[in-house]
Amino acid sequence: MTTLDSANNNSNQTKKRAVVICPGRGTYNKEELGYLQRLHSDKPELIEVIDNYRNQQGQVTISELDQMQQYSMRLHTAGENASALIYGCAMGDFQAINKDEYDIVAVTGNSMGWYIALAVAGALNPEASIELINTMGSMMTDGVVGGQMIYPITDENWCIDHQVVANIKQWLIEANSKQGCEVHISINLGGYTVFGGNKAGLKALEALLPVAQDRYPMNLFNHAAFHTPLLNETSNKAKSLLSPDLFNKPAIPLIDGLGQIWQPHSTNIKALYDYTLGTQVVAPYNFSKAIEVAVKEYAPDKLIILGPGSTLGGAVAQSLISQQWLAMANKSDFIALQKKDPFILAMGLPEQRTLTV
Amino acid sequence: MSDRNQLVRDNFINAVNANILPTSTITLTPTEVGLSDTDVIDLFETQVISRHLDLQSRIMQKKGQSFYTIGSSGHEGNAAYAKAFRPTDMAFLHYRSGAFMIQRSKQVPGQTPIYDMLLSFAASKDDPTSGGRHKVLGSKALNIPPQTSTIASHLPKAMGAAFSVPLAKRLALSDEQSKNMPQDSLVVCNFGDASSNHSTTQGALNATAWAAYQSIPMPIVYVCEDNGIGISTSTPDGWIAANYKDRAGLTYLYCDGLNLLDTYQKAKQAEKLAREQGKPVFLHMRTVRILGHAGSDAEFVYRDMKDIEATEFNDPLLHSARILLENNILTQAEIVKIYQDVELRIAQVAEQVATKAKLESAEAVMASIKPPVLPVEVSGRYPKIVNEEDRKALFSHEKHNLKKKQHCAKLINWALMDLMAENENIVMCGEDIAKKGGVYNVTTKLSQRFGQNRVINTLLDEQSILGLAIGMAHNGFLPIPEIQFLAYVHNAEDQIRGEAATLPFFSNGQFSNAMVIRIAGLAYQKGFGGHFHNDNSFAVFRDIPGLIMACPSNGADAVAMMRTSVKLAREQQRLVVFLEPIALYMTKDLHDEGDGLWTSNYVTPAEAIVEENVSSEMKIGTFGDGKDLCIITYGNGYYLSRQAEKILSEQGIKCRVVDLRWLAPLDEKGIVEQALQCKNILIVDECRQTGSISEALVTLLAEAQADSNEKMINTKRITAKDSFIPLGAAAYHVLPSTQEIVDTATALVNKESK
Repeated sequence: MTTLDSANNNSNQTKKRAVVICPGRGTYNKEELGYLQRLHSDKPELIEVIDNYRNQQGQVTISELDQMQQYSMRLHTAGENASALIYGCAMGDFQAINKDEYDIVAVTGNSMGWYIALAVAGALNPEASIELINTMGSMMTDGVVGGQMIYPITDENWCIDHQVVANIKQWLIEANSKQGCEVHISINLGGYTVFGGNKAGLKALEALLPVAQDRYPMNLFNHAAFHTPLLNETSNKAKSLLSPDLFNKPAIPLIDGLGQIWQPHSTNIKALYDYTLGTQVVAPYNFSKAIEVAVKEYAPDKLIILGPGSTLGGAVAQSLISQQWLAMANKSDFIALQKKDPFILAMGLPEQRTLTV
Repeated sequence: MSDRNQLVRDNFINAVNANILPTSTITLTPTEVGLSDTDVIDLFETQVISRHLDLQSRIMQKKGQSFYTIGSSGHEGNAAYAKAFRPTDMAFLHYRSGAFMIQRSKQVPGQTPIYDMLLSFAASKDDPTSGGRHKVLGSKALNIPPQTSTIASHLPKAMGAAFSVPLAKRLALSDEQSKNMPQDSLVVCNFGDASSNHSTTQGALNATAWAAYQSIPMPIVYVCEDNGIGISTSTPDGWIAANYKDRAGLTYLYCDGLNLLDTYQKAKQAEKLAREQGKPVFLHMRTVRILGHAGSDAEFVYRDMKDIEATEFNDPLLHSARILLENNILTQAEIVKIYQDVELRIAQVAEQVATKAKLESAEAVMASIKPPVLPVEVSGRYPKIVNEEDRKALFSHEKHNLKKKQHCAKLINWALMDLMAENENIVMCGEDIAKKGGVYNVTTKLSQRFGQNRVINTLLDEQSILGLAIGMAHNGFLPIPEIQFLAYVHNAEDQIRGEAATLPFFSNGQFSNAMVIRIAGLAYQKGFGGHFHNDNSFAVFRDIPGLIMACPSNGADAVAMMRTSVKLAREQQRLVVFLEPIALYMTKDLHDEGDGLWTSNYVTPAEAIVEENVSSEMKIGTFGDGKDLCIITYGNGYYLSRQAEKILSEQGIKCRVVDLRWLAPLDEKGIVEQALQCKNILIVDECRQTGSISEALVTLLAEAQADSNEKMINTKRITAKDSFIPLGAAAYHVLPSTQEIVDTATALVNKESK
């Protein structure tokens, strides 16, 4: 046979291979108000499914939220609103990616971004997506369980400061040894560690963490202690509310918060369900590891971070630097590369968005 | 890709598209063997990754980017048994186990097998296993100690590791103490049909069966991946089955490695036998070899083309495709797409890998010859302080002797008694060391005090003794194996040279097998033994990087040096050979009968001053401060030189006698410092003129003086003759003697003074 493809002559060779990264909470901020309307008014069928579902739940629609005159911390950052809103924006962005130019070889996400990744990869159909995302986002309507706090672990060059990492281990032990205190690592977020804990635990840890960059440790407003054992109840509740039948095999490989790859054909749906509503709810979400696995096992030409916002860019870059990916050893290497031929394309940044759509 | 590589690559797509696939008489379905459809796809994806890594390595080799092309093609069925075991089941793998590695990596989150394996082909220093030192299949996270073995020399340690799992349970060591393997682990170990002929395989299987035959649990699954050919030499038809199917102590199972379902099912049976019943299993797995022995192997030279083509058609990937199609799990198009997507993915990752740095200096290469020093919180678990009451009970049989001076054998015995009491993870093993107490009583009473689980009488096979020790060390034990006589180590030396010593090097310090190997040796046993009991060559150890070698000449030193050796193993994970001069075991007198000058008081652990820095303890000993002559020697030579020193002193020749104590690494600074203070140097070496340490000493001293303007110091050496040691008094004709030392020294000093 002479018509066979060979590795060096694949039909997909002309397309760029991209890994898509889905954003988590805290990415729809003041600047993003009107994101859906500005960028995704051409995708009514996407928004409609979400808004219909929210109407049924008696919740304010994401169209309304997006089109409000003013950004409200209370409204826009509350889990039951932010999750659906961010999902709508991110899914819109995913649909906007020029598929003639990009082959999406894998999808990952940060924290709540995992649910969006499931949607983007087709492991959840549109109706299932909003049901799951909205349900998980609304878990804290009766009161947020614990909280999250973020703290940097890199130096000014975005290189991991291993002394700080080691100290954090000790400080966590110390904080947890105090009466009534419970605090854990919630997310490994590139150059940051996000802690999740009860109020007392976070406070105890906060007292131990030296102030960094004048801003940290920083408590994350309206965030629950996701990815910690404090959420065991939430996990059980989620499993009672959401059926495994919501899940399909993904159409695109998924990389989760443990760095596991879920392949389209070989995914065990029950295991994916258990991971999504069990493991990752109560155990640390290792976003840095997800990025490491994405680049090492797929070697994509680009990483596309879906909007809204672009705050995940730093964490992704820091994760790459810690792997010396593309010979990047520090922040200035990253900035130089981004200037020359950006490796990370954040759709929340207009100049990078134009390279993706 | 060369034609054959391209053909094999294309054949898969053609055959699947045309639905012309190899058939099988096995009619198992996934459900029957306990696999879901997605499990089967998962295994198939592993096989495809493994295959494309093989092909990619050959593409990289052409570009000068890969340095290793021995692959797993035809053996990808090992994915199925990887799935049958747990990632905590330590695996000792031969080099065709790519699919096993990839499958196991799916059992531990966050692994990057494609990237890591490509890094290892490229000898990149980022390779997380060996750090760019070798292409090895290994992973700390996956409990796969890296093997460089091409000759099944990893089997003895697999046997030892298997023995250690129930041993830890019997000793009721805490999880922290037996730090590596869960107590319900098994060990898996694979090898090829050709290497099954090797003595290491034969020895390890024999030792395993020997233990199992007497109902000692041996939770191990040996998988013989039989592709019917070893490089170019065919394995006789039926050879493996005929050899192993009725072997005492071993359960033989057979599976078709071309069939994932059959392999998984048999592996599960094997798992049950090994894990639940502690029965060792010999799993004979049929495979084929595709793409030759290695990239450089022109298979057509020795193999019929029809045979090559038939083998390629019998591709396990095609068998898997057939299973997927027959069970309506995937379509032809889906199968081909998986194959092509993986190929592209691997090619892309390979491009990144090619940019990664290599090892760039000798220093970088050698950084892991010595394993890392353990942090105190780990090494500090031992030793425990043994209270006086317990010590009294331990030494109750010696209560009248404890305060008396003793000979070397007794003092080593006491030191071992204390060390075993302090370090609960010390296990001794060797021939006749238990109730008999060893052929020279050095291990006497240890078995009675610490039980047969910690003082193990082994079968008569040095490869197995050392393999047992290495395997136990993989499970957190601190083994002190004994080799009964130095001459016996030579049939087993590769277990030290090729296996134990290389482990830190090839694992970038992530794995280690610290131990103290006691060997009774050297000559001068009065009229006893002949060659095999008086061997005077340890040259075999002298060039092994990272190995420490101790050789005490007297009891007091032996006690201190044994403690140091255990400390080096415990704290620095070092491999120590402890050579005990047999002829000095029972020696009490130095100059005159009854002078008792070669006996010493026992320094108890409490009395011993424990130096903080162990390396400072690896120093020479010096007797006297004369400047006429510096005698440099060790072992029996030191004893003889001390006799000579007295005679020379009476003649007005003032000597100092240096005892090397540590033969590797030499205390070079200490030696030079002593020697350069003297007018003459005499090296007394009881080993042969050729290859003995005397050669290194002459070189050392010459180099030390080369840059000086002073006249070179007169230097002579006395060595044993280049002969084997004969029986009886004839031995003394080929060994240095006190008189020879006196005569040579006198001549040397007189010449200098003229």
